[in-house]
Amino acid sequence: MSMDYELEEEEFTSQFTGQTLRRIAGELKPHWPWVVSFVLAVALVASMDSFFTYLSKRIIDEGIVARDWARLLSIVRLYGSLVLVQAAGVFSFIYLTGLLGERVRYELRKKLFNHLQSLSLTYYNRTPVGWIMSRVTSDTDRMAELVTWGLLDVVWSTFNIISALYFMSIINWRLALMVMLIVPLIVVIAVQFKKRIIVEYRAVRRVNSKITGAYNENITGVRVVKALNREEENLARFGGLSSQMYQAGYRAAWLSALFLPTVQFISAVGVGGVIAYSGAQAGTGAISVGGIQAFISYILFMLWPIMEMARVYAEMQQAIASAERIFSLLDAKPEIMDRPDALEPPTLAGDIVFDNVTFYYEDDKPVLTNFNLHVHRGETIALVGPTGGGKSTIVNLLCRFYEPRQGTIHLNGYDYTELTQHAIQSRIGMVLQTPHLFSGAIRENIRYGRLDASDEEVEAAARLVGADEFIQELAQGYDEEVGEGGALLSVGQKQLISLARAVLAQPEIFIMDEATSSVDTLTEGLIQQGMEAVMQNCTSFVIAHRLSTIRNADRILVIEDGQIAEMGSHAELLHLGGHYYRLYTQQFRHELEEQLDPWRASADERELMLA
Amino acid sequence: MLNTTPSPRGIHFDLQQTLGVNRLAGLWRLMSHYHSLYFGAALSTGIAAAANTATFLLIRYFVDRYLMQSERSISLWWIVSGFLLLAIIQGGFTFLSRRLAAQTAEGVTMRLRNYLFDHMQRLTFGYHDKTQTGELIQRATSDVDAIRRFFADQAIESGRIMFLFLMNFGALLYLNGKLALLSILVVPVILAVSLWFFRRIERSYEKYQEQEAKLSTQLQENLSGVRVVKAFARQAYEQNAFDAVNREKYRRGQKLLLMHATYWPVTDIICAVQMLGGFTLAASMAIAGAITVGDYLAYVGLLVGIIWPLRNLGRLIVQMSQGMVSFGRIAEVIAEEREPIATYAERSTKQMRGALRFEQVQFVYDGHEERPVLHNISFEVKPGQKVALLGSTGSGKTSLINLLPRFYEYTGGRILLDDAELTEYPRDWLRQQIGIVEQEPFLFSLSIRENISYGVARQVSQAEVEDAARAAAVHDVIISKFPEGYGTVVGERGITLSGGQKQRIALARTLLKDPRILILDDSTSAVDTETEALIRHALQRLMRGRTTFLIAHRIQSVMDADLILVMEHGRIVQRGTHAELMAQPGRYRRIYDAQTRIEDELDQLIRSAN
Repeated sequence: MSMDYELEEEEFTSQFTGQTLRRIAGELKPHWPWVVSFVLAVALVASMDSFFTYLSKRIIDEGIVARDWARLLSIVRLYGSLVLVQAAGVFSFIYLTGLLGERVRYELRKKLFNHLQSLSLTYYNRTPVGWIMSRVTSDTDRMAELVTWGLLDVVWSTFNIISALYFMSIINWRLALMVMLIVPLIVVIAVQFKKRIIVEYRAVRRVNSKITGAYNENITGVRVVKALNREEENLARFGGLSSQMYQAGYRAAWLSALFLPTVQFISAVGVGGVIAYSGAQAGTGAISVGGIQAFISYILFMLWPIMEMARVYAEMQQAIASAERIFSLLDAKPEIMDRPDALEPPTLAGDIVFDNVTFYYEDDKPVLTNFNLHVHRGETIALVGPTGGGKSTIVNLLCRFYEPRQGTIHLNGYDYTELTQHAIQSRIGMVLQTPHLFSGAIRENIRYGRLDASDEEVEAAARLVGADEFIQELAQGYDEEVGEGGALLSVGQKQLISLARAVLAQPEIFIMDEATSSVDTLTEGLIQQGMEAVMQNCTSFVIAHRLSTIRNADRILVIEDGQIAEMGSHAELLHLGGHYYRLYTQQFRHELEEQLDPWRASADERELMLA
Repeated sequence: MLNTTPSPRGIHFDLQQTLGVNRLAGLWRLMSHYHSLYFGAALSTGIAAAANTATFLLIRYFVDRYLMQSERSISLWWIVSGFLLLAIIQGGFTFLSRRLAAQTAEGVTMRLRNYLFDHMQRLTFGYHDKTQTGELIQRATSDVDAIRRFFADQAIESGRIMFLFLMNFGALLYLNGKLALLSILVVPVILAVSLWFFRRIERSYEKYQEQEAKLSTQLQENLSGVRVVKAFARQAYEQNAFDAVNREKYRRGQKLLLMHATYWPVTDIICAVQMLGGFTLAASMAIAGAITVGDYLAYVGLLVGIIWPLRNLGRLIVQMSQGMVSFGRIAEVIAEEREPIATYAERSTKQMRGALRFEQVQFVYDGHEERPVLHNISFEVKPGQKVALLGSTGSGKTSLINLLPRFYEYTGGRILLDDAELTEYPRDWLRQQIGIVEQEPFLFSLSIRENISYGVARQVSQAEVEDAARAAAVHDVIISKFPEGYGTVVGERGITLSGGQKQRIALARTLLKDPRILILDDSTSAVDTETEALIRHALQRLMRGRTTFLIAHRIQSVMDADLILVMEHGRIVQRGTHAELMAQPGRYRRIYDAQTRIEDELDQLIRSAN
């Protein structure tokens, strides 16, 4: 929670504000008819507001003071009909501006999302999900607000002030000049206030996220808190945080509370000036009674447009920073791109060759060096070896999630950089160690493998991998919701479903990263059976942890330090008495121990946690 | 400078007293000690409103008695100063009312936050078992904030509108009774319309927000599942799915906007009708000489002050009713009973020896009376002995252990600790004497030093912390692996600890606590062999001289126990020492045999390979 907040508040200090503004305008360009319409509507409404005050003045001067009943009625009629026009204007600007905002939001998000789909894993590895989330949600909000309501407020305020000044100078230009002197004073004060208020509220949000964090930790860790008798001290600590919150909240509220009265007082001084002037000029005809009334209304109202402008000005900085971050995301180039003449051959079933492949991630530490491997069509390769040895990298390269820094990978004779990514990835079936499911029904999750698969095909795939049985036992069967990220299912169940998903995709290359976390024996067997079903028609790569998988592979590769340390069949390698022998005996001991332990923890049973 | 320090009366205010049938009364009691402050806020609002009304009357006076007169009996400067004085009063009291309201709101919510924090950590284990963390956090954060807004903004703002209405209306009555009554004809209409609209707007807004949440979820799942998306080349599908959610949000936004776009012009027209009618009527009265020009000017100002703010009242009422809903949700949590920590304080001075006797102990979880988790558990432990519990998940090991620190209360039989029944010892004292090292320990986002000294109330020196860390075989790791050594904050800037490191820090935490009874979950699955040896060594040291309960997963670690309890379905099915259990047929021996077979099989395998 607190992390999201930090990501959110990260500021860009860029010198390219002008450039960003131009780009924001560019985003708005396709919508210019909307912008023109709402600007016209709000300009009309703003000027009309000032005109109404002027009409009130005329009611007094031309109707009441002149005792002209007919004139009065005609002004009221004009007023009344303009109210209807005004209402139409209000409707249009609220609706147009708001809808344009929704539209800008919709399109920015769409653009960002679609762009994100094209970015390479490298990008995802160095960018936290929370950061991206903030760009797509709150930054687009802020930018859309700026170009719609922000722009609207500025237009409204400008027209309101200018038209008010216009009518004031019609009534009495000397007095109008005096008012013009007050305006900048209010503007400066309002901007200063708003800037500080924003800083204060930012502080409030910062403490607030700490408070949320504290609640979160104390509730998730409540058993430890109780076991260690920490209640008093934790409360005291939290008390410090909540009084910080008090201070921050109080400061922000205090400043906000001072803002309006201060600005109001300045305009009251203006009104006092009007009264003094008109009183002093009384009887000279310099200003009428209605004129006085109009001036008072104008001055008292004027602080609202000014405060709106100050708000927009103060928030603009943040909105521009938001826009910059959005653009920086849109400008991120996918590191792996299809060539313009990339091929999409009908099949890739064939030999797979790693030819002198060297790879390192961004930190320049080599992961694979001059790696060579020739896999025949239909072979099953087991990759074993220590964590960080390069097993996952081989698989990631094969999927073209990354490309070799040097050397080439050939699929069925093609250098795979000559192919589209889609051609490669649509022929791969993949099961991850911690399988990722999408929230939705089980059926939908399996169908993810092939979108046009019928219900029968989905269920057939589930039967093939042995997932059918447990699915049938669920209350909703195939329509059971899996929860966010599949949270409602056990790891074993998730693997079965992702196996079914992979089967349905009818892949030519199958990749599996076996789960290391414990799965109960029954599910274990099912997974085994499912894997065999998939591997029958594929060239397969398995990052293997289970002995049975390893033994059944056609070839075993022991990967250490980015090299093939040993390669061969199970019997051959065991005979060798080297790395594989050690790994195997260690794993054998571990697995037998686990199998024979009748008390081994089952991942499917929920037990109340001990402190 | 104004006083900004929080009131000390905040910390130990018992919010139980705010519970009752009526939420409004509850909110009132929630404000205890702040009533006078809030009353001051309300009063200031009233004074500011009065000054506002007086301004219009002063303008009337100025026009009628000064401007329209040829003989002027009063000085212009008096009028101007009067006007400025009223402005100062209005501004000053507006500020004061908001300030006082903010002070009340912040103070009340600070007290509420503290209370909820404490309350939540003192609720029973049973409550936490059945309640989701997110749910509790939401009540403690967004619901509390709703209450803050209720006091700071909504209540005071509707008060302001009401005062304005009353004062202005009073002034109108004073000017001309008939005119005044004709001028507020539209008030009930506006109120009704605004309530009608804002209920719908609020509902529509909630739907809009729901969709925003859906959009976030969709996005988040896509981002965290990026490998799957790529592996199945499902970018287009994902784009369509996101577009559907995004589009739906646009549609909901459109609905919401349509309502706003209708409400404001509609009420504009209603208000304008009232005002134009009033203006015309008043103007005709002025032409006829029934009221003065000054009366007319004041009338215009006062009427504007009555009509326009009313349009916001509907919104405020709807928002306030939501504040009350929030209070109801908080009250639900407050109504939950706490776990009594200290009950028989006189026992807490005694030194614990650590002798335990279980007599026919039974246990069922609240609400699951049909499925007892422990049946007839009887056994005896002498001070310093080591008891091992063997059994599968769900056999009752953990439930049995949880009874000792009184995390849960047994429902039958009795447990005697040093010859007195366990329930007679205060919980906090028991928990001081019992140390627990769990399989996956929970560390707090504090520095490593604070995590190690987390379990002791007194001040702990750096040397003591380091000694404990050395004994837990984690000192070297802390020094070499973490940038700021003991000052490194867990979880900050991506600092993550491996399972083995966490476990050893938890060990150090328990070592420092120096408990009489020790509960160990013996699992070292997630660490390599060398670390495993280190941890075993540290554990041995920890168990020395303490009554120890060991939740064991491997026969090897129970062989030296003084008592081994084999559990199944909440019962003890076998008991004795290793030697005794080996001498009888049964579960224990079968397991033992199976485990030793592993080594034989491995030998065979290697021989066959060669």
